[in-house]
Amino acid sequence: MEVADPVEGHTSRTVDQSLINLRMHAVEMGGLVIDQVGSAVKALIDRDVRLAELVLSRERMVNDYDARLDRDSLTFIALQQPVANDLRMVRAVARAGLELERVGDESKKIARFAAQIGAASAHDPVVAVARALRHMANLSVAMLRKAVRALDEADPALARDVLASDKELDREFATALRQLMSFIMQDHQFLKATIDTVFALKGLERIGDHAKNVAEQVLYMVEGEGALRAGERG
Amino acid sequence: MQGETSAQKTETPSLSIVLDERRVAGANPPKATAEKLDFWYGTNHALKNINLVIPEYQVTALIGPSGCGKSTFLRCFNRMHDLQPDTKYQGAITLRPDNVNLVGPETDPIEVRMRIGMVFQKPNPFPKTVFENVAYGLRLRGVGNKTELAERVEKALRGAAIWDEVKDRLNDSALALSGGQMQRVCIARALATEPEILLFDEPTSALDPIATAKIEELITELRQRVTVLIVTHNMQQAARVSDFTAFMYLGELVEVDATSKIFTNPAKKATEDYITGRYG
Repeated sequence: MEVADPVEGHTSRTVDQSLINLRMHAVEMGGLVIDQVGSAVKALIDRDVRLAELVLSRERMVNDYDARLDRDSLTFIALQQPVANDLRMVRAVARAGLELERVGDESKKIARFAAQIGAASAHDPVVAVARALRHMANLSVAMLRKAVRALDEADPALARDVLASDKELDREFATALRQLMSFIMQDHQFLKATIDTVFALKGLERIGDHAKNVAEQVLYMVEGEGALRAGERG
Repeated sequence: MQGETSAQKTETPSLSIVLDERRVAGANPPKATAEKLDFWYGTNHALKNINLVIPEYQVTALIGPSGCGKSTFLRCFNRMHDLQPDTKYQGAITLRPDNVNLVGPETDPIEVRMRIGMVFQKPNPFPKTVFENVAYGLRLRGVGNKTELAERVEKALRGAAIWDEVKDRLNDSALALSGGQMQRVCIARALATEPEILLFDEPTSALDPIATAKIEELITELRQRVTVLIVTHNMQQAARVSDFTAFMYLGELVEVDATSKIFTNPAKKATEDYITGRYG
């Protein structure tokens, strides 16, 4: 079936506008959580407590976006009783909101760690895996950005790009874990900080999974059931 | 059910293959099958090559914009068009199990109407008592025994979920009932002669939401006893009551599939545009 932008062309302009608003809020929320991820990791690597606190203070905004998407999608379903691609779109946006809210949670945890870790020493776990942290943050932010753009533009090709890039993030996570294991075997005094660093790395890996889930929602929104080819669903 | 689904995209396989595949998708064996059905009002070619299987004891909804031919198609089943001059059928609607062609010139329309009941948009009880409305068809069929008549009238009224409301008013005029009650008496009237297929032509468009919900609940129950074909402009009604939905446009059958599939992920863009309100 011909794929068209799912928000346009209704006889009722109210329906067009409601769908445009829903999608716009999801995309705005995406922009905010992308910044949260980047800032949280930067705060951790740079030991920037003020930046970490900024991330923590904006967590509430992320939750407000999620609550608004949840409420607006429910209202749309109740008032307009959408079917077919309208229904798939509303579901995709609501679920994307949920995924983005979880990305916000992961950023919050990293920021909390950044706010508490204290000054850097020449030999601490965050310094040991700083390159991996930065790389994983870049990868997960790129995946998120692509997933949110795919949602905005209803673009299944972009969504498939996101699914394909998750493996690299997983590989980077495994490498960083090995580095941390070597690190802790050499020096036990940073055990708590090392565990927290593992959680930060795991958080970034999970953010990749959330980006993937958003991309899967976009595929379902645009192409419907059976959109995911064998091997894509993970 | 019909050839335009994914089951039959490549070639035009024999009907039996299509039916087998539809059965896997949740369709019962066919009660009636429209094959290469064409219909004309004078020179107006109103139905074009309709191929559709109506599964037994299930509800099939016909949807589509005004003038798409859905009511015309419905009325072919009980030969209502015979009452109009200058109309022409071509092709067949085969009724199982005896394979009688409902639109064949050799088939007596009165016999057809004995087997296929119909409920209309506007409740249209006869200006008689509730009892006589339901007994009318039975008397025509020669049921004269008072006890049997009373039993069968009660059974039909119970079947139409109206018995409790009218059991003490059987000798009142049916025209004194509410719209929703009148419609259910009309359904009882149609059920009394135990039709094999019940046709509904926009049965709730003149009713309030509560009366509509009662009729919809009734249609859901009726499928245990009778095959149902319903025309509706109300998308949500088609979604709520039917097992299969057929979308018609400009006299053609565009798509037919399980209702859950049509309303979440239709195969044709025309169907999606219509059900999401993007037409015109």
